[in-house]
Amino acid sequence: MSSPDGAPHVVIRSVSKRYGPLTVLDRVDLTVARGELVTLLGPSGCGKTTLLRLVAGLATPEEGAIAIAGRDVTRVPPHRRNVGVVFQSYALFPHLTVAGNVAFGLAVRGRPREEIDRAVARTLSLVRLEHLGSRRVSALSGGQQQRVALARALAVEPEVLLFDEALSALDRNLREDMQVELRRLLREIGATAIFVTHDQDEALTMSDRIAVMNGGRIEQLADPKTLYARPATLFTLGFVGQSTRVRGTVAAAADGVVTVDTPVGRLSAMGHFAAGSPVVVAARPEHLNVVADAAGHDGGDRARNRVDGRVRAVIFQGSRSRIEVEAGGETLLAELPGRGAADLRPGDDARLVWPVAETFVYPDPEARP
Amino acid sequence: MTDTAVRTPVTAVTRPDNDRWLTLGFAAPATVVLALLFVLPLALLLVASVAGPAGFSLAEYGRLTTPHYLGVIWNSLRLAVLTTGIAFAIGYPAAFALARARGVVRSALLATLFLPLAASVIVKAFAWTILLRSDGIVNTVLLALGLVDEPIRMIFTETALIVGAVNIFLPFMILPIYAVVAQLDHRLVDAAATLGASPAVAFVRVVVPLTLPGIIAGVALVFSLSVSAYVVPTLLIGERYPTLSTTIAKAFLLARQPAFGAAAGVVLLAITLAAVALSARLGRSGGSR
Ligand SMILES: Nc1ncnc2c1ncn2[C@@H]1O[C@H](COP(=O)(O)OP(=O)(O)OP(=O)(O)O)[C@@H](O)[C@H]1O
Ligand SMILES: [Mg+2]
Repeated sequence: MSSPDGAPHVVIRSVSKRYGPLTVLDRVDLTVARGELVTLLGPSGCGKTTLLRLVAGLATPEEGAIAIAGRDVTRVPPHRRNVGVVFQSYALFPHLTVAGNVAFGLAVRGRPREEIDRAVARTLSLVRLEHLGSRRVSALSGGQQQRVALARALAVEPEVLLFDEALSALDRNLREDMQVELRRLLREIGATAIFVTHDQDEALTMSDRIAVMNGGRIEQLADPKTLYARPATLFTLGFVGQSTRVRGTVAAAADGVVTVDTPVGRLSAMGHFAAGSPVVVAARPEHLNVVADAAGHDGGDRARNRVDGRVRAVIFQGSRSRIEVEAGGETLLAELPGRGAADLRPGDDARLVWPVAETFVYPDPEARP
Repeated sequence: MTDTAVRTPVTAVTRPDNDRWLTLGFAAPATVVLALLFVLPLALLLVASVAGPAGFSLAEYGRLTTPHYLGVIWNSLRLAVLTTGIAFAIGYPAAFALARARGVVRSALLATLFLPLAASVIVKAFAWTILLRSDGIVNTVLLALGLVDEPIRMIFTETALIVGAVNIFLPFMILPIYAVVAQLDHRLVDAAATLGASPAVAFVRVVVPLTLPGIIAGVALVFSLSVSAYVVPTLLIGERYPTLSTTIAKAFLLARQPAFGAAAGVVLLAITLAAVALSARLGRSGGSR
């Protein structure tokens, strides 16, 4: 009940949207299963809001089609789509009370008074605001307004819920609480949801799947773990989590492993490139281990990369420490749990060691002539 | 926690006091001016209206209840209601068009609203007489085109009066509504649509309530201006349509009946105040906030 059942609920097929000469969405495909929460993650201006507006019917695509629950809604106006939207600014009606806002959708559908009252009470208790029904919305805190916006969207029992940066106006602690609470609530009611954010932690916390968007296209669509562990493109790698990246040229390739000459030395990575190709080699900081004395014991291990350098900074961050190591003019980032870096000091010689299997390699986007 | 504990007494004790003194301070000049220039003369007017030859008397008010003067009051109300109604019907959509316009079009539209305010009402009323006279521009054109055989009587009709009044007072309807419409958050309309409201329903349930403060300001302004208009009825219709204002002027300037003029003035003032109070009340009960 709490997991998506796999049946497609929202189908976005090859949708393009242009504003004048600007192509804001370029042949986007996305299928959201019933009960699934898919997050659109991407930098400002990549088209996240635009894609949501197309699903809500607040804008119409130039090409492609959108279907909700098997019905083609590409040209259906928003008020006949039954799609709930929680806007970034909440867009609560300032002339109505909390209950008036939540009742709005049912009232315009002409439902009888008692039914509306019951639905409002039920929805307000769902978001734990049952005691605030008669308040003016301007007399609410940001977190409470956010819940009213959610309750208003839920009250009409929409096919799909759309959230446009719905939590970004909240301060950090409240936002993290709301992420967990909202995720639980959505699972409870089995809602299909599309969630927009440019906060990667929020996306990783909340989503069944994440669509990383860039320049009006979906770069990668995957569940959070895959996205983090196996970023398909350099853009995804840079946008989700931290990484160290160095450029280089492929020296040799064999059996799905490439050897790359870089300023920090010769590195190996899993990938298929012809010798001579310009590439970018990358790794996550938590995979880099710091070995203080460079007289390594694992001398000939071909499954590991090794870089010798000098510690530039040790940054204590509570549960972990970040170590910046300089080698060949590049700065490599390592992350050690707890006080694992207690005996390291800036200026010390250090050797970084990490598995080839956790080394990414991508074509160098800037090397094109 | 500690932060609030330290701050609470400070804000709780000194802020309201400061605010009160500040408010009084800012209001002081306006209060003095209003007291000297309005309250005092109006008090004198009130006194004059009940001062008969033998002390206190309501005789002048009695004269205002004769059929003729009831007709005069009716004329004023009719002029005000028609002008306000038509100005609203034209001005409300115009305010939206203005808010929606961009760039040069918007500047041009705003200029057509503001520039007439710079011209005296007498100039504008005369302009209408030039347009509407039997040998005026409209009739000349109609005759030249052969659309009519003889000049149509337009000036000194009620139609001319209302058309002129609407034209002259329209900016006072559009500007306050425009000020509110320009602030309207379009995401609210989007939100209403996603909740199932058709454009018409969203308009009635969201746009109208949120623009109500502007509507009320515009209606109150145009109503008070047109119920007390003097130049417009004098120049565009004249003797055939006596209003409270023209009656007051005649009483003071021609008939030398200051007590009667004062009584009519008090009635006009009462009507205007009632209209303003009513709209303020509507604004509180139905408007936003
Ligand atoms: N109505 C419009 N007219 C013209 N251009 C628009 C319109 N709406 C959006 N755009 C443009 O489309 C692009 C994508 O906008 P969109 O709002 O979808 O981005 P976003 O990914 O939601 O960004 P953000 O994270 O800043 O909200 C932007 O370059 C924006 O300027
Ligand atoms: Mg956006």
